[in-house]
Amino acid sequence: MKHTYILAIESSCDETSVAIIKDGREEIATVVLSQMDTHACFGGVVPEVASRMHIENITMVLEECLKKANMTMEEMDAIAITYGPGLIGSLLIGLEAAKTLAYLYQKPLVPVHHIAGHIYANNLVKPLEFPLIALVVSGGHTDIIYMKEDYSFERLGGTLDDAVGEAYDKVARVLGLSYPGGPVVDKLASEGEDTYSLPLPLDDDSYNFSFSGIKSAVINLVHNEKQRGNEINTANLACSFQNRVVEILTKKTMRALKEYGVKHLIIAGGVAANKGLRTCFKDLCEENDVELIVPAMKYCTDNAAMIGAAGYFAYKLGRRATLDLNSKANDDLK
Amino acid sequence: MKNLLIDTACHDRIVAVLEDDQILAFKQELNDHTLSSRMVPMIQETLEEAKIEPSNIDTIYIVTGPGSFTGIRVGVTIAKTYAWTLSKKIVPLSELELLATTPFVGDYIIPYIDARRDYGYTGIYDHTGKVIMKDSHISRENLLKTIPENKKVVFVSNDEIDVPYDVLKPQIDISEMVRRHKMDPGVNPHECNPNYLKMTEAEENLLKHDHD
Repeated sequence: MKHTYILAIESSCDETSVAIIKDGREEIATVVLSQMDTHACFGGVVPEVASRMHIENITMVLEECLKKANMTMEEMDAIAITYGPGLIGSLLIGLEAAKTLAYLYQKPLVPVHHIAGHIYANNLVKPLEFPLIALVVSGGHTDIIYMKEDYSFERLGGTLDDAVGEAYDKVARVLGLSYPGGPVVDKLASEGEDTYSLPLPLDDDSYNFSFSGIKSAVINLVHNEKQRGNEINTANLACSFQNRVVEILTKKTMRALKEYGVKHLIIAGGVAANKGLRTCFKDLCEENDVELIVPAMKYCTDNAAMIGAAGYFAYKLGRRATLDLNSKANDDLK
Repeated sequence: MKNLLIDTACHDRIVAVLEDDQILAFKQELNDHTLSSRMVPMIQETLEEAKIEPSNIDTIYIVTGPGSFTGIRVGVTIAKTYAWTLSKKIVPLSELELLATTPFVGDYIIPYIDARRDYGYTGIYDHTGKVIMKDSHISRENLLKTIPENKKVVFVSNDEIDVPYDVLKPQIDISEMVRRHKMDPGVNPHECNPNYLKMTEAEENLLKHDHD
């Protein structure tokens, strides 16, 4: 049987990444160049700085990936590219490189939605089983998605304001912790106790989320305590914040599983690395006889391997883009 | 020698295919928000019109700035990817020098790209492309102080600028630009990057903070 090799490029935020994926399942080579240390100096991702770093690295990352795989462009069946959502200036670098390669080598160009990539990262570990619910949680996204079969996405809900990872970063900043805030808050939370009273974010019948309220509540609490000259117990506040966030994420996700009669749950995106979140979902899924699939750490953060995995299915479905493909800061997952 | 020239830095986007310094095909469009959609197709159309296969190009001349940050990045990403993957020679060019190929009467020509807040990307050139003042991001006030008093000077710009000199509209000479730079050794495609002439605001603020 002839195998299908996809060269995938991802540059939607602050990682420049290229991967070669065989048959949507097997990772031949992946190179990820993260800019995290640079953006840490600014306390968050600076779009113009990110764009500048992507263009400096894109061809080196491409070259390193092909070398690592010991393959040539001619051997690729298609080029998969993250066209959105993400930072426009960042997306453009990967996109222009992908279109140039597609043109020069006369290869099909396959557009991939970033969130489809996060979900299909799991296909590199174990073939997805349907129907499934995917909870995508990262610095840019908080979405609950229902999939009844391959490449069919129904978005049940998502954040109305801040993404969950963004709320973590902002809370970390007000607590004087380093960037990125997620891992630090997660670790502190495990050392603290749930002593602060914070509101449960958007606790309604929808599958939508809102994290700006709880974020503001933390900021106000810190501000008021400071004015009164009281010490903040950082670990306890981190724990209280994390518990409320995990509570609402698990509550709505478990309800979706029940409502749609689904027995497979995927958690994807950078915040899937959160230990508090993982532990809570693990217990709930065991209780409810749901199979929980959480990707390996290297697939949680942005990478091109996941774009190659999703790109394979898009390619097989005949999805193609022409050379006038543009990037999109926002786009529905279809 | 077959040459491809790409310019996405400024007011117009330009693709030209040349045999030595003779233009075989040339396309120019207003550099609007469709840049990303149009750029690769524009290169394809220009090469097809010139009846040249992309693999038969010898040298890519790429304008690396200064100008619109996003604009430059679209052109440079395409050019460096092209040069890297097909092992082509790549020669970076200055947008200001290209504007300064506009025919003029006088001693010096000053290409000027408005950078807002009374700043501009600018330099001073003579008829042969010799650099009198190197490309800089400077205030209009400082530029006017730098202009030699005993020389006849004209500006060239796409922007409406308020200066006490004649301001010409650009009529760039691509053949002249390729002739001037045909002996340039070129650069490693990995290291062919935009020449912004300006730090990002975030970097400027960080530096300011360090100095305080």
